[in-house]
Amino acid sequence: MTPFGIVGYYELWWVAILKALVIFGLAFAILPLLTVYERKLLGRFQGRYGPNRVGPYGLMQPLAEILKFATKEGFRPTTSVAYMFRLAPVIAILTAVGALALIPFGDVQHIFGERVGLYGIDVSVGPLYVFALAGISFYGIMLGGWASGSKYSFLGAMRGAAQLISYEVSQGLALVGVVMTAGTLSLTGIVHAQLGMWYIVPQFVGFLVFLAASFAETNRAPFDLVEADAELVAGYFTEYGGTPFVAYLFAEYMNMMVVSGIAVTMFLGGWLLPFGIHPPGWVDPIVVFAKMMIFITFFIWIRATLPRLRYDQLMSFGWKVLLPLATLNVLVTAILVVS
Amino acid sequence: MAPVFFFLAALGALSGAIGVVMLRNPFYSVLALVFHLISLAALFLLLRAEFVAAAQVIVYAGAVMVLYVFVVAYVGSGEELTSGGGLRVLGPVFALVLAIELCIAMLGSALKGISGKGAPYIPGFGSPRHIGTLFLTKYLFPFEVASLLLLVAAIGAVVLARRRRGLEADPEYQARLHKPVSHLAGSMAESVGARRDR
Repeated sequence: MTPFGIVGYYELWWVAILKALVIFGLAFAILPLLTVYERKLLGRFQGRYGPNRVGPYGLMQPLAEILKFATKEGFRPTTSVAYMFRLAPVIAILTAVGALALIPFGDVQHIFGERVGLYGIDVSVGPLYVFALAGISFYGIMLGGWASGSKYSFLGAMRGAAQLISYEVSQGLALVGVVMTAGTLSLTGIVHAQLGMWYIVPQFVGFLVFLAASFAETNRAPFDLVEADAELVAGYFTEYGGTPFVAYLFAEYMNMMVVSGIAVTMFLGGWLLPFGIHPPGWVDPIVVFAKMMIFITFFIWIRATLPRLRYDQLMSFGWKVLLPLATLNVLVTAILVVS
Repeated sequence: MAPVFFFLAALGALSGAIGVVMLRNPFYSVLALVFHLISLAALFLLLRAEFVAAAQVIVYAGAVMVLYVFVVAYVGSGEELTSGGGLRVLGPVFALVLAIELCIAMLGSALKGISGKGAPYIPGFGSPRHIGTLFLTKYLFPFEVASLLLLVAAIGAVVLARRRRGLEADPEYQARLHKPVSHLAGSMAESVGARRDR
């Protein structure tokens, strides 16, 4: 039974499990380092050092923090709804990890005589699967805010719902142009279609819209009204502490990785290198990861640079600028593809 | 593997549907509906309708239900809804009529399929390409009519909101918003009284 089956070859079940474990393990090994990376970089942007006490270059900082978080007392407000309060961070991290399975880190390789695709699964509906998981991840934020039984959390969650719905439309439409040009929804197929030219060139408008919408979708600055600390303490996870808080934190970083991965796959040619360089297969994941790091660095850079938008600015930007731009992009692309 | 998956999804769909009707708190009702829709998407996956499954989750669970949750959470989920007298009588009648209709449909067609092998799977069936082609050839007219219907609904919503003075600017609020303020307001120059309002 392969519900997501357009994998063009038979893949052994233990290969699938092994791939899942490797992706999961690597992702959770990289996530703590990303937090250090962000804090170091933010520090540099602000003319200070960032964490540099624990381990070499402060690299062991997340280990110390995770120890601290894991040993904290699990408390919740008396007004909160117990099981939903515990469930919400689980939904957030589950959907984020699930979306990571889609990112193609490399082409199909021959390992020990078996054909192994360097991705979790290759789905015939590609980006739609990611959007479906993003749709479910709303509930992680909304239930977390609602179940906390606190006004700050509730307001943060409601802002989050409105913001995520508004920007999801533009984000999806921005990818339609790429899908139309490539003629397939499979993410590996889209990468193969970019062999001649990366889609960032013909789909530059789509790329910009996708990038802007991604900032809102991942609740990153300057669209982080969901957790606007000046007004809402920390938004939907105000009442969270200990490991549930870490779950929310990691979900945010994981979403950042997923969005970067999608951007790399759709616009930057995935594992392809420019100028016709074809390195051996094991280089593919490194190429993809290097490209993802460009986006993640950009995310952090923007956080250090731009101030937070006002709420009405956020909404009018999403509906009056991004959506018409994305629609126009789709229209022009459709005309060009057909003609 | 497939039967286990089917029964899990079917149980989820059933329990979600029952939860929508039985739960007293509207907020939990909406969440039960979300659970039901996601379980339905899992059933679609089993039928190899990947596109329908993804669309189901994106459109219903991801967009429509988020709005429901939004409204219910704001309007207040604490109090229980009161059921009207007319609905108390009409509800069971409608349920009975629907049950009879479903029974007719099931006994008429579905029972015959139990002993059969089911429809064969054609590669490419239910893929986005296949569905898109059908939409623009065989089902073009229903597709366009449905989109027109949605457009009418959207315009209707805007008109209704306008009539209740939802979108018109409140003059008092506007006056407060654009109150003339000194350009030094809130600055250090104002605090030491260096310059008066102009």
